[in-house]
Amino acid sequence: MKNISGYIFKGLFLITLIQPLNGQDTLRTFGPRVGIDLSRIAFLFTDPAEISAELSVDVEIYKNIYPVVELGYSTTSTSSEQYHYSAGGMYGRFGADYNHFPVTGQSKHHSITTGFRYGIALFTQQAEDIIIEGGYWDDYMLDSYESSPTGHWIELVGGLKTEVVPNFFLGWSVRYKILMNPEMDPLVTPQMIPGYGRGTTDRAFGFSYSILYKIPLLIR
Amino acid sequence: MRIGKLLLCIAFGLSSCQPQEICDNHDLPFLVVRFKTIQSSITSDTIISGVTLYGIREGKADSLLYDSLSLSRMELPLDPSHNYSNFVFSVYDLTDTLTIVHTNDIYLISYSCGFATRFTLDGIDYNQMLIDDFEIKESIIDHDLEQDEEHLWLYF
Repeated sequence: MKNISGYIFKGLFLITLIQPLNGQDTLRTFGPRVGIDLSRIAFLFTDPAEISAELSVDVEIYKNIYPVVELGYSTTSTSSEQYHYSAGGMYGRFGADYNHFPVTGQSKHHSITTGFRYGIALFTQQAEDIIIEGGYWDDYMLDSYESSPTGHWIELVGGLKTEVVPNFFLGWSVRYKILMNPEMDPLVTPQMIPGYGRGTTDRAFGFSYSILYKIPLLIR
Repeated sequence: MRIGKLLLCIAFGLSSCQPQEICDNHDLPFLVVRFKTIQSSITSDTIISGVTLYGIREGKADSLLYDSLSLSRMELPLDPSHNYSNFVFSVYDLTDTLTIVHTNDIYLISYSCGFATRFTLDGIDYNQMLIDDFEIKESIIDHDLEQDEEHLWLYF
């Protein structure tokens, strides 16, 4: 498994570096690029499991500058002897990437980018069957707690995209996230903020691995 | 191997990467009461002898919290299922019923340790057999008790 993933990554780098040297066709396609984050599948196996999906759209509006919108949905739940907790909701990230790997006169359109995002998550969280230890008094059971917080954060993003066949890309990115309002619910810190990660930390790392398709609206 | 696990932690934020939190069942919130006296307009700590205290628990047998002790302070557990906690407070043969009135909010200690009650002290009631007056010094009572934190002064 380790070897396979190693070959894939080496392959992505080699394709990125070698293709521009061999390119003959100077025509390039332009248009919005739509992607699905495949790395969300891995979060099905984290503890607690997270069921999520994410779609991204970017477009080169000016040379090497790509405004990006990422939209997603995420839910999670966990149980213990003292409570059952669940959270879920929508999120959006808005920002731009800058390509540091401009290739002129080539048909393939690889990129190495850095960028930023502003993220917002609108979600609900609830806890049920909460047992509060009473000590000298009786234990107390509370039916439910529910809140609908909004999370805000910013991200620094670095990534690489490789055009493996015309208009189809594979790309990955790493992200450093800074939560702007960790006190969004002062009574119950969210276990998971959709699109951000653990609400119990105000700094987080993220990773995505996407497959993308560029809709070829223009060829020039 | 260690680097691989670190990368997985960074990528997915696995809970197994975080140090296990120790949940102390004894850190339940309690009200800290300090005994005071006023002489010649000067407030000072005082020690009361022969203090006996127990909570009035519906459907449960009386269980003494303090039994004929000399005290300058008491720690009272509060009832999370009601907005009041009733105590029988005795000094030798004199007995007072002390009612602590509080607002209860639940909050999360952590996902490992679960939920707890944060009490807000609203006031107290007593029949003036023993206690002359009171003063609320700190109205928020939760498990995160600071050293030397005092919530209520009782004047004798």
